[in-house]
Amino acid sequence: MKISLDWLKDFVDIDLSLSVLINRLDMIGMMVEEWEEKDSDIILDIETYANRPDTLGHLGIAREIAAALGLKMKKQEWPLVELEQKTSELCDVQIRDADLCPRYTGIVVKGVKVGPSPDWLRKRIEAMGLKPINNVVDVSNYVLFSTSHPIHAFDLAKLAGRKVIIRRAKAGEVIRTLEEEDVILTSDMLVIADEERPVAIAGVIGGLKSSVQGTTQDVFIESAYFNPVSVRKTSKKTGISTDASYRFEREADISFPPQAALMAASILTQFGGKVSKGIMDVYPKPKKEKTVILRYQRVFGLLGLEIDEKFTEKTLSHLGFRLEAQRKGVWQVKVPHFRVDVEREADLIEEIARFYGYDKIPVHFPPLRVPEPPLDEKREKIEKTRQLLFNHGFDEVLNFSFADPEREASFQTGREAVEIRNPISQKASILRTTLLGGLLDNLVWNRNRGAEGIHLFEIGNIYFWQKKKTHEQLTLAVVATGPIGPAHWQRKTKEADFFHLKGALESLMSYLRYEPFSFKKTNHIFFEEDSSLALAQKGETIGHFGLLKKGLRDRYSIDGPVWAAELNLEVLFKKKPQSFQYVPVTRFPTVTRDVSFIAGQDVTFQDIKEAVEKLSLPYLASFDIYDLFSGSSIPKGKTSLSLRFEYSHPERTLKAQEVDKLQKKVIDTLKKSFNFLLREGGKIDK
Amino acid sequence: MKDLKARIEKLKRDFDKALSGVKDEKSLQEVRNIYLSRKRGAVKLLFEELKALKPEKRAQAGQLVNSLKKHVVAKVSRLKVKLAASKPGVRARKGDLTLPGVRGYWGAPHPVVLFQQKIENIFIAMGFSIEEGPEIETDYYNFEALNFPPHHPARDDWDTLYISDDLLLRTHTSPVQIRAMERRKPPIRIIVPGKVYRRETPDPTHLPMFYQVEGLAVDKGITFADLKGTLEHFLKTLFYEKLKIRFRPSFFPFTEPSAEVDIECLVCKGKNEQCRVCGGSGWKEILGSGMVDPQVLKNVNIDPEQYSGFAFGMGIERTAMFAYQIPDMRYFFENDLRFNRQFSIK
Ligand SMILES: [Zn+2]
Repeated sequence: MKISLDWLKDFVDIDLSLSVLINRLDMIGMMVEEWEEKDSDIILDIETYANRPDTLGHLGIAREIAAALGLKMKKQEWPLVELEQKTSELCDVQIRDADLCPRYTGIVVKGVKVGPSPDWLRKRIEAMGLKPINNVVDVSNYVLFSTSHPIHAFDLAKLAGRKVIIRRAKAGEVIRTLEEEDVILTSDMLVIADEERPVAIAGVIGGLKSSVQGTTQDVFIESAYFNPVSVRKTSKKTGISTDASYRFEREADISFPPQAALMAASILTQFGGKVSKGIMDVYPKPKKEKTVILRYQRVFGLLGLEIDEKFTEKTLSHLGFRLEAQRKGVWQVKVPHFRVDVEREADLIEEIARFYGYDKIPVHFPPLRVPEPPLDEKREKIEKTRQLLFNHGFDEVLNFSFADPEREASFQTGREAVEIRNPISQKASILRTTLLGGLLDNLVWNRNRGAEGIHLFEIGNIYFWQKKKTHEQLTLAVVATGPIGPAHWQRKTKEADFFHLKGALESLMSYLRYEPFSFKKTNHIFFEEDSSLALAQKGETIGHFGLLKKGLRDRYSIDGPVWAAELNLEVLFKKKPQSFQYVPVTRFPTVTRDVSFIAGQDVTFQDIKEAVEKLSLPYLASFDIYDLFSGSSIPKGKTSLSLRFEYSHPERTLKAQEVDKLQKKVIDTLKKSFNFLLREGGKIDK
Repeated sequence: MKDLKARIEKLKRDFDKALSGVKDEKSLQEVRNIYLSRKRGAVKLLFEELKALKPEKRAQAGQLVNSLKKHVVAKVSRLKVKLAASKPGVRARKGDLTLPGVRGYWGAPHPVVLFQQKIENIFIAMGFSIEEGPEIETDYYNFEALNFPPHHPARDDWDTLYISDDLLLRTHTSPVQIRAMERRKPPIRIIVPGKVYRRETPDPTHLPMFYQVEGLAVDKGITFADLKGTLEHFLKTLFYEKLKIRFRPSFFPFTEPSAEVDIECLVCKGKNEQCRVCGGSGWKEILGSGMVDPQVLKNVNIDPEQYSGFAFGMGIERTAMFAYQIPDMRYFFENDLRFNRQFSIK
């Protein structure tokens, strides 16, 4: 809200330097966002709040300053040059819907010479950033910015039958507004009408036909209170927002319409106007002032500070509240109509604190009486996941939850996307159903800026409809391409590949104690055929990973292989991790046995692993594959694989014969099950 | 015996001579084998000889043979280390120890998460726990329960993305406070981090999605002074001990009284009227806060006559931007690794 310092001085004598005034305003919550010098005046831009329509005019801001500085408000006089005729003889006002218009006042000013405004008025209008139009229009704006109460001026001659009827519009009625726009009205909208047609959309905008023009002689001034919700709905529905509707929808001061009308009439007499006798005031059910009980002990209870009772009384009276002591420490407070925001004791306590100064409230720490619950396990698991992926060289990214429906479609996730009804753009009009879209965007962004090795992960929700409800599913996705880490003069840099990604996922599952887990060969829509696996835990699929499909890479114009994964963390994290148990470390040495086989290429490691596990050999501490190759020294179509077995006993040293026996069992089983040939010292044992 | 001693001395001299000619690991292995081979090495053969000696002489002779073995083992292993250190690559720049070492490589956290955890940790130390809730919310939890009446213009300050008449993308994490208060009895002391959404076109200071941390404390006798104490401690820990802080009245539908918290401009400390960061005011708005509105407590069946509380909220990106002088909020979601990775050392 623009506030002119000169204008403020009409209401209160301010004798402060600008910086002191600005600081004072800031500290009572009237934040000065900017200020500028204009025509030897200072224009402040003050931040106002939706609950304080009274501060949308100079009068309201002046009241705040007066209370803050302990000054008296100046009295303003609005003398009238009156006609013999009564207002009621010149026009007829009827309220047909008192819910939407509880109060309507009007007065007629005859013989106004419509023309340019005098300098003082032009200056004020320009200070508000508006262009002066003519003296009558400028006066209505002047009253609005002065008092925050909107008024409207009609050309009396254009009101058919000299009637002012406040009624709901008939469905389909049309009005051409001051902005020369035709608006089709609906029956929930309130209008001002004459005998024949609507002449204004109540509280929002006037009609063109009844507006004041150069030829106008007699003016009807409307000053009313319209239902805030009704004005807001109408303004939203018609898409018309004006200085008037902005104030009415925040609620006007119901006690103020006559004063605003008289103020306007008084100024119009400066332009030759004469005012009808007796203001027309239709106010069928006068509203009572609100009453709030204020307890001194609650002031202390909420602020944590003793505030002098005298200060409380003085401040609230200054702001227009009327206090009546009921008993010691308890007041009954009458709230002036212009303070639409004050309804409860807490609202009054805020007023006291505001003027006492938030800076004078002491600093204290709230005692902790009952401990809070510990952090939940999900957060801990997310944190472990992040740390593990960092260690594997993956960078964390965060992307917007929005997605472009067209791009998203290429992933064919089969998830029903959640659409946004009023998106900021078509490209952000649904919520993402996969995290991969964002990650691929990030990959392209970084590659276009020269990055070669790009290894990213994101943990966040994807969104979709499930059984007619929106579902938010915590998800982890990974993409990887190129070298891992910078090149080094001594060490060779590793490149991202399938096993780099698989290893990260295996470590993750172990680190989260989700063992045993398994991999299944399946094809998935994101990945090239026979180039992906499903990760499963206790038979339930957690996600898929592998070589991203060329079609998807093409969609993002990415050259070269991209390895990707998407896991459903919601399902995974609901599973119970293996309970941790301490296992005593044996004090006796571990015996290692290596064995190499020539194997057919159709046997998978998973097959071998399962076969070994099935044997449940005693003392077998670990089992792994440590070498794998095929080539000229190996028969065509075969592979050489080397396995390492480690045995240990908790209570004694294992004897060589014992281990030999166990090892023989493994070798025999593998030879028999998979037709393996034993390979020793380069020779193949048939 | 003398004979044995002399033979061993000679073996040592021969060994030393042979070793002086060794230039690589292969010839080292050969020389070693002459003396230490398990089957035909000189040491092995000498031990075999000892078997023929009488027991009283055997011990002494054994010591002599062992001294040869030790001599050979020590010199071989010393030379082995030396040879390893002069392998190709290193040999090319022999002695240049200023070459870069082998650094570990690890991924970096996203700066928003990093900053969020920094904030969380300060509150956890003050006895707060962490709550989370859905991002897609109902109008009731996002607005009505927080004392925004339907059709109230206050809603205009929270420009909203809607899914349907009743479903929306939460505009703040405050609905989680309502859900927590519905579920738990006071005392409650929580912070609520998370994504929030506004209908804003991206520009340097606005995004349609950003991260917030909100907090709530409800108990008997919670006062505005407690709010000030908690937030002052938080801000001084996050920035620095001597930070200047001011609380100034404001308006939020869900708090009464409400306060905006400003901190001194970290760039000019209020000493530059042309400062682009604070606009010359010397202050920067950092938190919204206030005492929980009695109507909000009533909405979750907490008696405002018995209990009171405070609530606060802040934007994570905005705060990080101010702390590190980042000029554009959009950087956080471009995920340019040259930007993101900088913060991992913070
Ligand atoms: Zn500054």
